[in-house]
Amino acid sequence: MAQPLIQLKNISVNFKNKERDVLAVDNVNLDIQRGDIFGIVGYSGAGKSTLVRVINLLQRPTGGEVLINGEDICQYDAPKLRQTRKKIGMIFQHFNLMMSRTIAQNVAYALKGSPLSKQEKQDKVNELLDLVGLADKKDTYPRQLSGGQKQRVAIARSLANDPDILISDEATSALDPKTTESILNLLQELNKKLNLTVVLITHQMEAVKQISNKVAVMEQGKVIERGSVLDIFATPKTSLTQSFIDTTTRLDATLKGLAQQDNLKHLKPGEQLVQLSYSGDTTDEPIIVSLYQKFGVSANILYGNVEILQGTPIGSLIVILSGDAIKVSESLEFLTQSGVRIKKLNLADFGGDN
Amino acid sequence: MDFLKQYIPNVFDNWHGDYGFEGAISQTLYMTIISAIIAGVIGLAVGLILVITEDGAIAENKTIYNITDKIVNVLRSIPFIILLALIGPLTKIIVGTTIGPQGALVPLVIGTFPFYARQVQNALVQVDKGVIEAAQSMGESNFGIVCSVYLKEGLPDLIRASTLTIISLVNLTAMAGAVGAGGLGSLALDIGYKRFQNDVTIVATLMVLLFVFVVQFIGDYITKKVSH
Repeated sequence: MAQPLIQLKNISVNFKNKERDVLAVDNVNLDIQRGDIFGIVGYSGAGKSTLVRVINLLQRPTGGEVLINGEDICQYDAPKLRQTRKKIGMIFQHFNLMMSRTIAQNVAYALKGSPLSKQEKQDKVNELLDLVGLADKKDTYPRQLSGGQKQRVAIARSLANDPDILISDEATSALDPKTTESILNLLQELNKKLNLTVVLITHQMEAVKQISNKVAVMEQGKVIERGSVLDIFATPKTSLTQSFIDTTTRLDATLKGLAQQDNLKHLKPGEQLVQLSYSGDTTDEPIIVSLYQKFGVSANILYGNVEILQGTPIGSLIVILSGDAIKVSESLEFLTQSGVRIKKLNLADFGGDN
Repeated sequence: MDFLKQYIPNVFDNWHGDYGFEGAISQTLYMTIISAIIAGVIGLAVGLILVITEDGAIAENKTIYNITDKIVNVLRSIPFIILLALIGPLTKIIVGTTIGPQGALVPLVIGTFPFYARQVQNALVQVDKGVIEAAQSMGESNFGIVCSVYLKEGLPDLIRASTLTIISLVNLTAMAGAVGAGGLGSLALDIGYKRFQNDVTIVATLMVLLFVFVVQFIGDYITKKVSH
């Protein structure tokens, strides 16, 4: 594998104050390859923002190394670090535009100190505003823009020095769903067009699902799970990851709804409520049909969902299997062998009637 | 004219010359403008030091912050009328005299810059931390952040603070009049009050008021101009 563009090695960040030490980031190792859209998810306080600030040293780690293109930037002196930062764009939840400057001036600000001539800078600004679709807003002030437009300006600004990396710190968290989608699409487009490596911090698994190819899940300063988005969605290993994934489907709500139904609360003997998850090739085979043909077990489908992630379908079904008890367990065996993941469900866990 | 002369005769009698209204107006202007410039520069610098050395700021430094903070607090706590007497010897060393408008400059500067520094601090501390972080992420130096983020983003608040400071400075120049600094304050006290020429006091007051209004008007106008 090629050398990762960003390598975080044994990164720890310890905030000391009088009362106690807070270990915001706890010995994290992370490799991010060029061209990745790398999602980092976690609830607030998980340390993801702190971790990502280590990449451009807005936050100095208390331990560990930050390698960009194989070089430890912690060793850089101030001027060299500033040069490096120019190649790492960053966008923020609250956009952080300068209110006293026009849109064009905000973008031009990032070009301060660049060797370009005045005319070249102007062309560059126009080109960037064109890229984010705001060429006509050039001379207005940020106050007059909507949230989504402000974020577009921030993106244009972050791209001014042709960075290799773009850090997005909860950049869509303050936006409505439709605007979020358009910003995510823009990031994805930039990733493809400019071969830009994007590090996407978010608590919205939906955003990761939409554009990332890799994801890391953080909890209490640690990365508890990582991998390709496909693997993580198909076979989550921790319950936190599972709960993040559930937020992107309607599974939780569905189960709660099902738990309200009387006939489901009292399953007949021989009936078994299960959740089946499968990905890729498995989805092409008619498993439900083969259950009946091979074992005489019928499957009553209560809920079904298929999503396409990175071109691979990921499915999930909630079914009631009914038939002879031994046949049902044999059929579950068969399903496992076919690569379907099985989770036995007990509706009582979803707080039926309250 | 004759009509006015009837009601404020002493104002006309005391109009010309260094010790009349002519002199007083120019002395008040002189004291206000010169000390505003000097105290402005010092106060801005001290205010900036407070802002950037504060906990979590770009040049965080507890020692420098605490020392500066204490100096500002102490100087602000001394009543101005006492400060005038207290620093007499220092004034003499710096400007060679303790009386007249020139003698008032040193105490005016020392009485004003800590006030202005606090105002500057309050104004600049409100500059969005996120914008500063954004500038840092773009590879901006600390000096660049002071010039093009703090001073630029905080400009409207800074002008508001300056207006307030100049007005309080006008107030101090009048107080300095009590110890022979000249200006409209002296005129009101020495002629108006001590010689029972009330009309002089009233007209001197009106002139100070007019001056304050003009300063406020200009300040508001510029603030509006630079706010977006």
